Amino acid sequence: MQVALSGLLMGLIYALVAAGLSLIFGLMDVVNFAHGELMMVAMYAAFTLWQVSGLDPMIMLPLVALLMFGIGMAVYRLLIARALAVRFNKGMVQIFVTFGLAIFIRGAAQMVFGGEFRAVTGTALADRSWHLGGIFLPLPQLAAGFVCLLAFGGLYLIGRTEFGHALEATREDRDAVALIGIDRDRIFSLGWGLGAATLGVAGVMLAGFYYVSPNVGANFALIAYVTVALGGFGSLMGALVAGLLIGEVEAVTAQLLEPSLKQVGMFAIYLAVLMFRPRGLFGKI
Amino acid sequence: MKRLGLLATAAALALSVVPAFAADDVIIGVIYPLTGNSAPVGLDAKVAYDVTAEIINGTHAPLPMLMGKGGGLDKLGGAKIKLVYADSQNDPQKARAEAERLITQEHAVAVLGAYTSATAATISQVTDRYEIPFVNADSTSPSLSQRGLKWYFRTTPHDEMFSQAMFKFFADEGAKTGHKVTKIALFHEDSLFGTDSSNVQLKLAADAKIDVVADVKYRANSPSLSAEAQKLKAADPDAILPSSYTSDAILIMKAMHEIGYTPKAVMAQAAGFQESGFLAGVGPLSEGVFSRSSFALDAVKSRPAIEPVNALYKAKNNKDLNDNTSRQVTGLVVLADAINRAGSTKAEAIRTALIATNVPGNQTIMPWAGVKFDENGQNIEGTPVIQQVSGGTYHTVWPADVATQPAVWNVGK
Repeated sequence: MQVALSGLLMGLIYALVAAGLSLIFGLMDVVNFAHGELMMVAMYAAFTLWQVSGLDPMIMLPLVALLMFGIGMAVYRLLIARALAVRFNKGMVQIFVTFGLAIFIRGAAQMVFGGEFRAVTGTALADRSWHLGGIFLPLPQLAAGFVCLLAFGGLYLIGRTEFGHALEATREDRDAVALIGIDRDRIFSLGWGLGAATLGVAGVMLAGFYYVSPNVGANFALIAYVTVALGGFGSLMGALVAGLLIGEVEAVTAQLLEPSLKQVGMFAIYLAVLMFRPRGLFGKI
Repeated sequence: MKRLGLLATAAALALSVVPAFAADDVIIGVIYPLTGNSAPVGLDAKVAYDVTAEIINGTHAPLPMLMGKGGGLDKLGGAKIKLVYADSQNDPQKARAEAERLITQEHAVAVLGAYTSATAATISQVTDRYEIPFVNADSTSPSLSQRGLKWYFRTTPHDEMFSQAMFKFFADEGAKTGHKVTKIALFHEDSLFGTDSSNVQLKLAADAKIDVVADVKYRANSPSLSAEAQKLKAADPDAILPSSYTSDAILIMKAMHEIGYTPKAVMAQAAGFQESGFLAGVGPLSEGVFSRSSFALDAVKSRPAIEPVNALYKAKNNKDLNDNTSRQVTGLVVLADAINRAGSTKAEAIRTALIATNVPGNQTIMPWAGVKFDENGQNIEGTPVIQQVSGGTYHTVWPADVATQPAVWNVGK
């Protein structure tokens, strides 16, 4: 039971990290290899704000989300839009642009913050647990899970607004929307902003109970790619379900088999889905 | 064709100039992870080596240690040590390539390294092939010095010696205080360091008739270690013996706490547990954690050089010397002394001098009996200590002659 719960809480974080990736990929067919690094930026932002103000990072959540929204839009305007505009080898250019961005951000973080492992400590929730009939619920993770669910709710609601419909339309046919007066560039940059803001939420919540280091994103990014592929590219629901599934499978494999084999279960499911349902559990493409 | 010829001449000229120019400096290649997850350790190592090189090269009041009088290598006409760094990215293959580059392109007369054992293994293969001495200051897998390498010298004690100290400590404490350790759980990462360390601990536990109630092997750099913590909690041992690097050390302490588990004792195989990032990262959760150490910052009485060297290091890096950085200082000092005694930068002469090394402990900053290599290049006089976190820093609790505090059991409640 404890194992299942731990898996569930971790799964929610995986899901939210994957949601941003899925959003961007679904919208414009760009795999963002700097995804983990953008989350790392959000974690450092939360850490720095906490260090400066002494306030719980959760209070700063809207601020970090807003900041990440801006960073996401800037990344699109400055890099991705240009990468999309090239005539030759589009796919490769997109891969290298985001890959290069990842290395750049990681190097910059190491330069600015040093390679040290850091952690947010002494907040209201830090290192505290609820004890319920033999089961321990770590408060920071519980809060993170709750906020992740809220964020998913928010994303769902955004999907139902006019902007959401525009997003959906752009996804379906990016050339046709121009004819009905939708500014494709604007939609794309807002999409990137939204994807990065999701990461902002995930990063802040993660910073509440996880260490912060220039490489922290890499640990989560691989799982995010698997989650997106498993859930189906561009599907919000898919990211949520796949994230939870991966969290659970990971926890259960670690319990039943050797902990060092815990990623085996997760990749086994991924391979099975690739073989029998290549578009993912909820994929539309 | 003419242009090619010109280029070739220019290249030949350039090549002939470089060694002549470099003849004054003695070039030592230094390979560490300077980027990636182990970068904090590598970057600290770089500061430690730079400070040590300054002590050896610079002009200053003499420090009470080997090579502490400054002014370069006197038997080589005051030649200066020049360190050339390379980034292994903690990848054994990159470490191999960088070792080759340092030897063939940079003309390093000896190589220093390497923190992680997996990279030390590949570097030592290269140095043996090129017949260049490799002084391994801080990698502790026992197997590294069991491969019959001719050019491999390790100043640090290895994990078998460290683990022996742990079990000896358990036995001593059990006899003295009645806190007997009868069942232990191993917790170790899945690369060379963790695997070797746990194998030795399994063997020593069997010899000491201590039950191993859980042997948890985990994947290094996992996003979560809660399932692993669960296994340790279920086993409820008298002591957990982790072999982990920093990120996992932080995670497992947090994960155990999150499920309401306070282990009776944690006896760490140093590494991540000795890093300041660990102490800062887990805060009060680290109270009472035991770790073996090859360094004792508080042993200033018997090792007068600790204070001045630490002050120089702290001025540059804003933290105290630790288990890793102190061994790195010692590695370079021992190598520089050997090159000096050899009076030559020829590999064979340096090797002969290394073999003849016999430094008493009080000439180093380590609490060791001394530095003296056996036929496998292993320092047999590197006697470890056991330390315990109290008040946010490590204090030496064993053996009695260097201890500054008694060991505390069942803490962190």
